[in-house]
Amino acid sequence: MRYLAEAPPGTHPLVPVCGDGSFSIVVGKFYYCAFTIDTLTSTLLAVVVTLALCFLIANRLSHRVPGKLQMVLEFLLSYARGMQKDQGAEDAAFILPIAATIFVYILVANWLDFLPLPHPYFRPATADINQTFALATFVILVVQYYSLRTLGLRGYLLRFTKPFDANLAFRIGFIPINIIEELTKPISLSLRLFGNIFAGLLMVYLLTLLPIFVSPIPLILWKAFDVFFVGTIQAFIFMLLTIIYFGMAREGAEEEHHGGGHAQAAPHRGGQPVS
Amino acid sequence: MNHAIAVAGAMIAAGLALGGGAIGAAVGDGLAGSATINGVSRQPEAQGRLTTIMFLIIGLVEAMYFINLALGFYFIVGVAASVGG
Repeated sequence: MRYLAEAPPGTHPLVPVCGDGSFSIVVGKFYYCAFTIDTLTSTLLAVVVTLALCFLIANRLSHRVPGKLQMVLEFLLSYARGMQKDQGAEDAAFILPIAATIFVYILVANWLDFLPLPHPYFRPATADINQTFALATFVILVVQYYSLRTLGLRGYLLRFTKPFDANLAFRIGFIPINIIEELTKPISLSLRLFGNIFAGLLMVYLLTLLPIFVSPIPLILWKAFDVFFVGTIQAFIFMLLTIIYFGMAREGAEEEHHGGGHAQAAPHRGGQPVS
Repeated sequence: MNHAIAVAGAMIAAGLALGGGAIGAAVGDGLAGSATINGVSRQPEAQGRLTTIMFLIIGLVEAMYFINLALGFYFIVGVAASVGG
Protein backbone atom coordinates (compact mmCIF):
# COMPACT_ATOMS: atom_id res chain seq x y z
CA MET A 1 0.00 0.00 0.00
CA ARG A 2 2.97 2.34 -0.31
CA TYR A 3 1.88 4.71 -2.99
CA LEU A 4 3.82 7.86 -2.15
CA ALA A 5 7.05 7.07 -0.37
CA GLU A 6 8.95 4.06 -1.59
CA ALA A 7 11.69 4.13 1.01
CA PRO A 8 11.88 5.65 4.46
CA PRO A 9 13.28 9.16 4.36
CA GLY A 10 16.85 9.54 5.45
CA THR A 11 18.24 7.03 2.99
CA HIS A 12 19.95 9.36 0.58
CA PRO A 13 21.42 7.87 -2.59
CA LEU A 14 25.16 8.47 -2.41
CA VAL A 15 27.51 9.23 -5.29
CA PRO A 16 31.16 8.65 -4.36
CA VAL A 17 33.64 11.19 -5.74
CA CYS A 18 36.98 10.01 -4.39
CA GLY A 19 36.56 6.44 -3.31
CA ASP A 20 34.10 5.30 -0.69
CA GLY A 21 35.99 6.47 2.36
CA SER A 22 33.93 6.29 5.50
CA PHE A 23 34.33 6.12 9.23
CA SER A 24 31.84 4.36 11.41
CA ILE A 25 30.58 5.61 14.72
CA VAL A 26 28.54 3.41 17.03
CA VAL A 27 25.35 3.85 15.04
CA GLY A 28 25.85 4.07 11.31
CA LYS A 29 28.57 4.97 8.88
CA PHE A 30 29.53 8.45 7.76
CA TYR A 31 30.79 8.82 4.22
CA TYR A 32 32.93 11.91 4.06
CA CYS A 33 33.82 11.72 0.40
CA ALA A 34 30.51 11.39 -1.41
CA PHE A 35 27.63 13.55 -2.61
CA THR A 36 24.07 13.04 -1.54
CA ILE A 37 22.66 13.57 -4.98
CA ASP A 38 19.03 14.23 -3.99
CA THR A 39 20.04 17.05 -1.67
CA LEU A 40 22.15 18.60 -4.40
CA THR A 41 19.37 18.53 -7.00
CA SER A 42 16.72 19.84 -4.65
CA THR A 43 19.09 22.54 -3.38
CA LEU A 44 19.70 23.56 -6.96
CA LEU A 45 15.97 23.72 -7.59
CA ALA A 46 15.38 25.77 -4.46
CA VAL A 47 18.19 28.18 -5.31
CA VAL A 48 16.88 28.65 -8.85
CA VAL A 49 13.35 29.28 -7.60
CA THR A 50 14.58 31.70 -4.94
CA LEU A 51 16.66 33.67 -7.42
CA ALA A 52 13.87 33.72 -10.01
CA LEU A 53 11.32 34.89 -7.43
CA CYS A 54 13.51 37.65 -6.06
CA PHE A 55 14.62 38.89 -9.49
CA LEU A 56 11.00 38.87 -10.62
CA ILE A 57 10.04 41.04 -7.66
CA ALA A 58 13.05 43.29 -8.17
CA ASN A 59 12.15 43.77 -11.83
CA ARG A 60 8.58 44.70 -11.10
CA LEU A 61 9.54 47.06 -8.28
CA SER A 62 7.29 50.09 -8.13
CA HIS A 63 6.87 52.86 -5.61
CA ARG A 64 3.33 53.80 -6.55
CA VAL A 65 1.49 50.47 -6.68
CA PRO A 66 3.49 47.74 -4.96
CA GLY A 67 2.50 44.23 -5.89
CA LYS A 68 1.50 41.67 -3.30
CA LEU A 69 4.82 39.81 -3.35
CA GLN A 70 6.71 43.07 -3.09
CA MET A 71 4.64 44.05 -0.06
CA VAL A 72 5.33 40.71 1.62
CA LEU A 73 9.06 40.99 1.04
CA GLU A 74 9.14 44.62 2.15
CA PHE A 75 7.30 43.71 5.33
CA LEU A 76 9.81 40.93 5.96
CA LEU A 77 12.76 43.23 5.35
CA SER A 78 11.44 46.00 7.57
CA TYR A 79 10.71 43.47 10.31
CA ALA A 80 14.22 42.06 10.09
CA ARG A 81 15.68 45.56 10.08
CA GLY A 82 13.71 46.47 13.19
CA MET A 83 14.92 43.26 14.83
CA GLN A 84 18.50 44.09 13.96
CA LYS A 85 18.07 47.56 15.42
CA ASP A 86 16.59 46.11 18.60
CA GLN A 87 19.63 43.89 18.96
CA GLY A 88 21.88 46.91 18.64
CA ALA A 89 23.71 45.43 15.68
CA GLU A 90 22.88 48.00 13.02
CA ASP A 91 26.51 48.92 12.40
CA ALA A 92 27.11 46.03 9.96
CA ALA A 93 25.30 46.19 6.64
CA PHE A 94 25.81 42.52 5.80
CA ILE A 95 23.58 41.12 8.54
CA LEU A 96 20.26 41.99 6.91
CA PRO A 97 21.03 40.44 3.49
CA ILE A 98 22.32 37.25 5.12
CA ALA A 99 19.30 36.88 7.35
CA ALA A 100 16.74 37.72 4.67
CA THR A 101 18.37 35.46 2.08
CA ILE A 102 18.43 32.59 4.55
CA PHE A 103 14.76 33.13 5.33
CA VAL A 104 13.63 33.23 1.72
CA TYR A 105 15.80 30.28 0.74
CA ILE A 106 14.64 28.04 3.60
CA LEU A 107 11.04 29.07 3.00
CA VAL A 108 11.25 28.16 -0.68
CA ALA A 109 13.06 24.92 0.06
CA ASN A 110 10.41 23.92 2.59
CA TRP A 111 7.42 24.95 0.50
CA LEU A 112 8.66 23.15 -2.60
CA ASP A 113 7.93 19.97 -0.69
CA PHE A 114 4.20 20.59 -1.16
CA LEU A 115 4.44 20.15 -4.92
CA PRO A 116 4.43 16.58 -6.25
CA LEU A 117 8.00 16.61 -7.54
CA PRO A 118 9.59 13.41 -8.92
CA HIS A 119 10.47 11.58 -5.78
CA PRO A 120 13.90 10.01 -5.55
CA TYR A 121 15.67 13.20 -6.55
CA PHE A 122 13.54 15.94 -5.06
CA ARG A 123 12.79 16.20 -1.39
CA PRO A 124 12.98 19.29 0.80
CA ALA A 125 16.64 20.21 0.73
CA THR A 126 16.58 21.12 4.42
CA ALA A 127 15.72 17.51 5.36
CA ASP A 128 19.41 16.66 5.12
CA ILE A 129 21.62 17.35 8.12
CA ASN A 130 24.52 18.24 5.82
CA GLN A 131 22.58 21.13 4.32
CA THR A 132 21.35 22.61 7.57
CA PHE A 133 24.70 22.19 9.27
CA ALA A 134 26.38 23.97 6.38
CA LEU A 135 23.91 26.86 6.73
CA ALA A 136 24.37 27.07 10.48
CA THR A 137 28.16 26.82 10.27
CA PHE A 138 28.24 29.65 7.77
CA VAL A 139 26.09 31.81 10.02
CA ILE A 140 28.20 31.11 13.10
CA LEU A 141 31.47 31.78 11.24
CA VAL A 142 30.17 35.16 10.09
CA VAL A 143 29.00 35.83 13.64
CA GLN A 144 32.51 35.12 14.96
CA TYR A 145 33.99 37.42 12.32
CA TYR A 146 31.55 40.15 13.25
CA SER A 147 32.31 39.67 16.94
CA LEU A 148 36.05 39.94 16.34
CA ARG A 149 35.58 43.00 14.16
CA THR A 150 33.31 44.79 16.61
CA LEU A 151 34.99 43.96 19.91
CA GLY A 152 38.60 43.48 18.88
CA LEU A 153 40.64 40.50 20.01
CA ARG A 154 40.61 41.49 23.67
CA GLY A 155 36.91 42.08 23.79
CA TYR A 156 36.30 38.87 21.86
CA LEU A 157 38.24 36.85 24.42
CA LEU A 158 36.65 38.76 27.31
CA ARG A 159 33.24 37.79 25.97
CA PHE A 160 33.96 34.20 27.01
CA THR A 161 33.96 35.31 30.67
CA LYS A 162 30.38 36.30 30.25
CA PRO A 163 28.63 37.44 33.43
CA PHE A 164 30.34 40.81 33.23
CA ASP A 165 29.17 42.05 36.61
CA ALA A 166 30.50 39.07 38.60
CA ASN A 167 33.90 38.91 40.31
CA LEU A 168 37.00 37.50 38.66
CA ALA A 169 37.12 33.92 40.04
CA PHE A 170 33.46 33.45 39.19
CA ARG A 171 34.03 34.65 35.65
CA ILE A 172 36.97 32.30 35.08
CA GLY A 173 34.77 29.40 36.14
CA PHE A 174 32.33 30.38 33.42
CA ILE A 175 34.85 30.08 30.58
CA PRO A 176 34.16 26.40 29.72
CA ILE A 177 30.42 26.97 29.87
CA ASN A 178 30.69 29.90 27.49
CA ILE A 179 32.86 27.88 25.09
CA ILE A 180 30.31 25.05 25.14
CA GLU A 181 27.53 27.56 24.53
CA GLU A 182 29.38 28.89 21.50
CA LEU A 183 29.95 25.38 20.15
CA THR A 184 26.37 24.23 20.61
CA LYS A 185 24.95 27.21 18.73
CA PRO A 186 25.46 25.78 15.21
CA ILE A 187 24.47 22.30 16.38
CA SER A 188 21.17 23.38 17.87
CA LEU A 189 20.49 25.75 14.98
CA SER A 190 21.01 23.03 12.37
CA LEU A 191 19.33 20.22 14.30
CA ARG A 192 16.22 22.33 14.89
CA LEU A 193 15.59 22.92 11.20
CA PHE A 194 16.65 19.43 10.15
CA GLY A 195 14.61 17.71 12.85
CA ASN A 196 11.44 19.57 11.99
CA ILE A 197 11.55 19.01 8.25
CA PHE A 198 12.81 15.46 8.50
CA ALA A 199 10.17 14.53 11.07
CA GLY A 200 7.57 15.92 8.67
CA LEU A 201 8.82 13.57 5.95
CA LEU A 202 8.89 10.73 8.45
CA MET A 203 5.26 11.33 9.41
CA VAL A 204 4.31 11.34 5.72
CA TYR A 205 6.08 8.01 5.31
CA LEU A 206 4.34 6.53 8.34
CA LEU A 207 0.95 7.78 7.14
CA THR A 208 1.45 6.14 3.75
CA LEU A 209 1.82 2.82 5.54
CA LEU A 210 -1.86 3.05 6.56
CA PRO A 211 -4.48 1.39 4.33
CA ILE A 212 -5.27 3.47 1.29
CA PHE A 213 -8.89 4.17 2.28
CA VAL A 214 -7.77 5.80 5.55
CA SER A 215 -4.58 7.62 4.73
CA PRO A 216 -5.38 10.43 2.20
CA ILE A 217 -7.26 12.77 4.57
CA PRO A 218 -4.72 12.75 7.43
CA LEU A 219 -1.97 12.85 4.84
CA ILE A 220 -3.29 16.02 3.22
CA LEU A 221 -3.97 17.64 6.60
CA TRP A 222 -0.52 16.78 7.94
CA LYS A 223 1.21 17.81 4.75
CA ALA A 224 -0.49 21.22 4.73
CA PHE A 225 0.26 21.77 8.42
CA ASP A 226 3.82 20.58 8.07
CA VAL A 227 4.71 22.61 5.00
CA PHE A 228 2.83 25.83 5.55
CA PHE A 229 2.97 26.14 9.34
CA VAL A 230 6.06 24.29 10.51
CA GLY A 231 8.08 25.18 7.42
CA THR A 232 7.29 28.88 7.70
CA ILE A 233 7.87 29.03 11.45
CA GLN A 234 11.17 27.19 11.20
CA ALA A 235 12.43 29.45 8.41
CA PHE A 236 11.41 32.44 10.49
CA ILE A 237 13.08 31.08 13.61
CA PHE A 238 16.29 30.44 11.70
CA MET A 239 16.33 34.06 10.55
CA LEU A 240 15.44 35.33 14.01
CA LEU A 241 18.17 33.33 15.71
CA THR A 242 20.67 34.46 13.11
CA ILE A 243 19.95 38.08 13.96
CA ILE A 244 19.92 37.32 17.69
CA TYR A 245 23.31 35.60 17.46
CA PHE A 246 24.64 38.69 15.73
CA GLY A 247 23.24 40.72 18.59
CA MET A 248 24.83 38.41 21.16
CA ALA A 249 28.15 38.64 19.32
CA ARG A 250 28.54 42.26 20.40
CA GLU A 251 27.83 41.64 24.07
CA GLY A 252 30.33 43.56 26.09
CA ALA A 253 30.58 46.43 23.63
CA GLU A 254 28.42 48.54 25.92
CA GLU A 255 30.58 47.74 28.93
CA GLU A 256 33.69 48.78 27.01
CA HIS A 257 32.28 52.15 26.11
CA HIS A 258 30.34 53.09 29.21
CA GLY A 259 32.99 51.88 31.61
CA GLY A 260 30.85 49.54 33.67
CA GLY A 261 27.46 50.97 32.84
CA HIS A 262 25.61 47.70 33.44
CA ALA A 263 22.42 49.41 34.48
CA GLN A 264 22.28 51.02 31.07
CA ALA A 265 22.74 47.79 29.17
CA ALA A 266 20.55 45.55 31.29
CA PRO A 267 17.03 46.74 30.32
CA HIS A 268 18.06 46.76 26.69
CA ARG A 269 18.88 43.06 26.79
CA GLY A 270 16.09 42.10 29.11
CA GLY A 271 13.39 43.27 26.74
CA GLN A 272 14.06 40.52 24.20
CA PRO A 273 11.42 37.80 24.00
CA VAL A 274 13.76 35.08 22.72
CA SER A 275 17.41 34.69 23.47
CA MET B 1 18.54 -13.55 17.57
CA ASN B 2 21.01 -10.87 18.63
CA HIS B 3 19.74 -8.70 15.84
CA ALA B 4 16.13 -9.02 16.95
CA ILE B 5 17.01 -8.22 20.55
CA ALA B 6 19.05 -5.19 19.51
CA VAL B 7 16.31 -3.83 17.25
CA ALA B 8 13.66 -4.41 19.91
CA GLY B 9 15.82 -2.59 22.44
CA ALA B 10 16.39 0.28 20.03
CA MET B 11 12.65 0.56 19.40
CA ILE B 12 11.86 0.56 23.13
CA ALA B 13 14.52 3.22 23.68
CA ALA B 14 13.16 5.36 20.84
CA GLY B 15 9.65 4.95 22.22
CA LEU B 16 10.75 6.06 25.68
CA ALA B 17 12.56 9.04 24.19
CA LEU B 18 9.49 9.97 22.16
CA GLY B 19 7.25 9.71 25.23
CA GLY B 20 9.49 11.89 27.35
CA GLY B 21 9.92 14.39 24.54
CA ALA B 22 6.17 14.59 24.02
CA ILE B 23 5.61 15.26 27.73
CA GLY B 24 8.22 18.02 27.68
CA ALA B 25 6.85 19.62 24.53
CA ALA B 26 3.29 19.49 25.89
CA VAL B 27 4.31 21.14 29.15
CA GLY B 28 6.26 23.78 27.24
CA ASP B 29 3.35 24.52 24.91
CA GLY B 30 1.03 24.77 27.89
CA LEU B 31 3.33 27.22 29.64
CA ALA B 32 3.60 29.37 26.54
CA GLY B 33 -0.18 29.33 26.07
CA SER B 34 -0.92 30.16 29.70
CA ALA B 35 1.56 33.01 29.69
CA THR B 36 -0.08 34.34 26.52
CA ILE B 37 -3.54 34.13 28.11
CA ASN B 38 -2.23 35.99 31.16
CA GLY B 39 -0.74 38.67 28.97
CA VAL B 40 -3.89 39.09 26.89
CA SER B 41 -6.15 39.27 29.93
CA ARG B 42 -3.98 42.03 31.37
CA GLN B 43 -3.51 43.90 28.13
CA PRO B 44 -6.09 42.90 25.51
CA GLU B 45 -4.71 45.34 22.94
CA ALA B 46 -1.39 43.45 22.86
CA GLN B 47 -3.05 40.29 21.55
CA GLY B 48 -1.61 40.48 18.04
CA ARG B 49 1.97 40.81 19.14
CA LEU B 50 1.61 38.23 21.89
CA THR B 51 0.14 35.67 19.51
CA THR B 52 3.09 36.05 17.17
CA ILE B 53 5.53 35.57 20.01
CA MET B 54 3.54 32.59 21.27
CA PHE B 55 3.77 30.81 17.92
CA LEU B 56 7.46 31.57 17.83
CA ILE B 57 7.98 30.02 21.25
CA ILE B 58 5.83 27.05 20.28
CA GLY B 59 8.02 26.58 17.22
CA LEU B 60 11.12 26.64 19.39
CA VAL B 61 9.65 24.26 21.96
CA GLU B 62 8.30 21.75 19.49
CA ALA B 63 11.59 21.74 17.63
CA MET B 64 13.03 19.77 20.54
CA TYR B 65 10.34 17.14 20.09
CA PHE B 66 10.88 16.92 16.35
CA ILE B 67 14.62 16.58 16.83
CA ASN B 68 13.79 13.76 19.21
CA LEU B 69 11.59 12.08 16.63
CA ALA B 70 14.13 12.39 13.81
CA LEU B 71 17.09 11.25 15.89
CA GLY B 72 15.06 8.40 17.37
CA PHE B 73 14.30 7.19 13.87
CA TYR B 74 17.96 7.49 12.90
CA PHE B 75 18.84 5.59 16.07
CA ILE B 76 16.57 2.67 15.14
CA VAL B 77 17.82 2.59 11.54
CA GLY B 78 21.43 2.89 12.65
CA VAL B 79 21.18 0.10 15.20
CA ALA B 80 19.38 -2.16 12.74
CA ALA B 81 22.00 -1.48 10.06
CA SER B 82 25.05 -1.84 12.30
CA VAL B 83 23.88 -5.03 14.04
CA GLY B 84 22.49 -6.71 10.95
CA GLY B 85 25.17 -5.49 8.55
